[in-house]
Amino acid sequence: MTAWGQPTGWAVALAAIAAGLTLSGCAVEQGAAGAKFVPRKPGVLIVATSFLPAPGFWFGRGAKSGFEAGLALALAHKLGLERVRVVQVPFAKVTHGRLDGADLGLSQVTPTSERERTASFSTPYLIAPPGVLGRRGVEAIDLKGLRSLHWVVGRVSTLTPIVRNVVQPTSPPVVVEDRSSELEVLRSGRADALLVDLPVALGLARAEPGRFHVLGQLNGGEGLAAVLPKGSPNLDIVDSSIRALTANGTISSLSSKWLGSQADVPLILSSP
Amino acid sequence: MLVASIQAPSGAVLEFLVLFAVILFGPLVVSRLGLPGLIGLLLGGFAIGPHGLDLIKAGDQTVPALGQLGLLYLMFIAGLELDLHVLRKQRSAAVVLGLAAFAVPFSAGLVIGWALGWSVAATILLGALFSSHTLIVYPTLRDAGLGGNPAVASAVGATVLTDTLALIVLAVVAGTQTASADITVVIVEIAVGFVVLAGVGLLLLPRLVDRALRMWGGDRVARYVVVIVALLAMAALAEVFGIEPIIGAFFAGLALNRLVPNEGQSMDRVEFFGSAVFVPVFVVSIGLLLDPSVMFTTETLELAGLICLGALGGKAIACWFAGAALGFDPPERGAMYVLTAPQAAATLAVTLIGFELGLFDTSVVNAVLVLILVSISVAAVLAQRVVTWMPRGAAHKVLGEKVLVATMAERPSDTAMRAATRLARPDGGHGEVVITRTAGEPRPEATALRSVERHIFGHGFDGRLTTTVGPLAEAVPWAVTETEPSVVVIDDADFDILVPGVPLVVVRVTDSGEDTFRVVGSIDAEDGREIARRLGDPRTARNRMRRRDPPENGASRSTDTAQSIAPR
Repeated sequence: MTAWGQPTGWAVALAAIAAGLTLSGCAVEQGAAGAKFVPRKPGVLIVATSFLPAPGFWFGRGAKSGFEAGLALALAHKLGLERVRVVQVPFAKVTHGRLDGADLGLSQVTPTSERERTASFSTPYLIAPPGVLGRRGVEAIDLKGLRSLHWVVGRVSTLTPIVRNVVQPTSPPVVVEDRSSELEVLRSGRADALLVDLPVALGLARAEPGRFHVLGQLNGGEGLAAVLPKGSPNLDIVDSSIRALTANGTISSLSSKWLGSQADVPLILSSP
Repeated sequence: MLVASIQAPSGAVLEFLVLFAVILFGPLVVSRLGLPGLIGLLLGGFAIGPHGLDLIKAGDQTVPALGQLGLLYLMFIAGLELDLHVLRKQRSAAVVLGLAAFAVPFSAGLVIGWALGWSVAATILLGALFSSHTLIVYPTLRDAGLGGNPAVASAVGATVLTDTLALIVLAVVAGTQTASADITVVIVEIAVGFVVLAGVGLLLLPRLVDRALRMWGGDRVARYVVVIVALLAMAALAEVFGIEPIIGAFFAGLALNRLVPNEGQSMDRVEFFGSAVFVPVFVVSIGLLLDPSVMFTTETLELAGLICLGALGGKAIACWFAGAALGFDPPERGAMYVLTAPQAAATLAVTLIGFELGLFDTSVVNAVLVLILVSISVAAVLAQRVVTWMPRGAAHKVLGEKVLVATMAERPSDTAMRAATRLARPDGGHGEVVITRTAGEPRPEATALRSVERHIFGHGFDGRLTTTVGPLAEAVPWAVTETEPSVVVIDDADFDILVPGVPLVVVRVTDSGEDTFRVVGSIDAEDGREIARRLGDPRTARNRMRRRDPPENGASRSTDTAQSIAPR
């Protein structure tokens, strides 16, 4: 006699478990319940991005290397599309959901309340705390150290208020228009440090290891998300696909391959 | 300047504030409308979430991470609360009903998923979602005196099987979606994982936790932390084999089922933290996904209708036919239905994991939330009617369900505590320890009581300590009336009083250091044999039992008619 009582009870229960395992094992097909992706062009995922090349994200021949390039391809496969086409669209347009005919934008964009008024954002695909990109040779291990550095900031960057209000540098930061200008200032030595999303900082440091390194990460921050036109019916299926790519480890391995480990970057406490 | 330093609250502190405000006010508000507190938490989650006031942003990691812990906790409690004694007692009926209550709704889920053109994985997960259930209305039936009804007991026992099967299906689906290895390898890995989980859960974990509770159980904090470490260890072990951690948590609950009695002090603390913090946080985190713009669309409402039909209809068919096959009458089948229809714990778990795997989108999540609300409401209303249809039977107390230990000494003897633990443990029972003193004796100090508590838990006995004044002959009848135990252990060899309706086990240590006992009071033959079996020990050279019928009322002296009980 078993804990279940009659041996027949056990046999039936085991048979049911075996049947369940077998049936569940057939569940290799990928895809979410119900929702279908409707591409602008059949069989093609058209992706808008702003910075080409973007070290760590979009670079190499035909911009086919990098984290977001790999993510675009994985998304296309997940959505049942054959290939990816990349179009370059100014960052200000991407963040407003104006994608110039692309299905979605992958351009290291952080969702904000203001941006959400004009664009739809997917679930984040990368956690993006603020990362401090510094010139090689520049070091800082705490907020006091960061304060004494010379900073460069972008006029419209969402991270500029953090530099001004949290870091509070002792010397006024150099203010420029966009990221390429920020990097130019950093390369020229007119500034020591730049605050960007940590994955972006990792990508930049990996692309120019002789010039840049990541000093640390600040606590807080949101994620990088795909941008879709406001009210896009594709949002749900893109969301589901990003969650699936997170769950099956695709995003993690792309991140390790092209950006390196965020966990290895020391945390600089920016609040008590 | 003071004004310059004033700023709006933000960050984690604000998130915790709004989260706990919802946990406080959500259930309070909806209870005034006669709705379950769960609904208040879900709606509160919506209110503070990205689709409501946006106080918790879409990309927020804090609340969902806490919610994950809450989910583990929820599944742990689900395993912990299952009445394994009932499962043993009604095993055949429980297996039949459990398989039917799993298979029929599971099939309904497959049909609906297939008809909607879902992927195979999403379809199977929908079946798993339908097939599980949560014993939300069991307290209603138990409080109505129906806990011992065979139909009710079968439904309670069947829950172990349905939820285990549903979680097995979830494990395999999740494994195939998250692993990059060959499908056969994944299934073998999961099968090995289940064997390991079952082995550790049945053999190793109960022993380790028992030992830990005996060593550190006197410290209330340590007792709680031991249980939490066991929960997280099993969840982590499940992850090693690519199995969802909630399944490890459920197995941990089953493993500790007897060590953490449902009415005991340890369970009290587990439930306290669960119901105050962890589980509400999880439910609120689900509420964050609630999106009226998605929920109140024709598509979602149609889906919700289909899901309700499949899940509730499937359970109804299963209970009706399995109940008929088992010889239960229609009201009893109704009782089985109200117990197996509510969808909450495992349903939420499967839904959230389906969502995280990208198999379910927000419309499915919102439709499932409708199912949860409907199923709980329907079951709660029906349960009130079912209890009026069912014949009442006097609930038979399980022998070790609640053991009262009474002593006049400073603390109960090792012999008494050994006997109490042996009586309680097989039934997952708990106890009360009453220390009585004479009127002139000073009240024991807190440190002395702490020491007694450590002594009690050191014997692996989950018991609450009470002190009183008066002779044992008065204290025992008083304590029996107050605590309604299933058996009383008297730590006084000379005790010679009968208390109606409850067996008294009088223990003493012989001059040669052997534990002996005698049973006094009204017990049926089966309980008498069971007491002898549990207390029988090769070291016990001589066990004697004195029996006589109890008086009509009140306590009286027993006579010295002894009966020997052979050791096991």
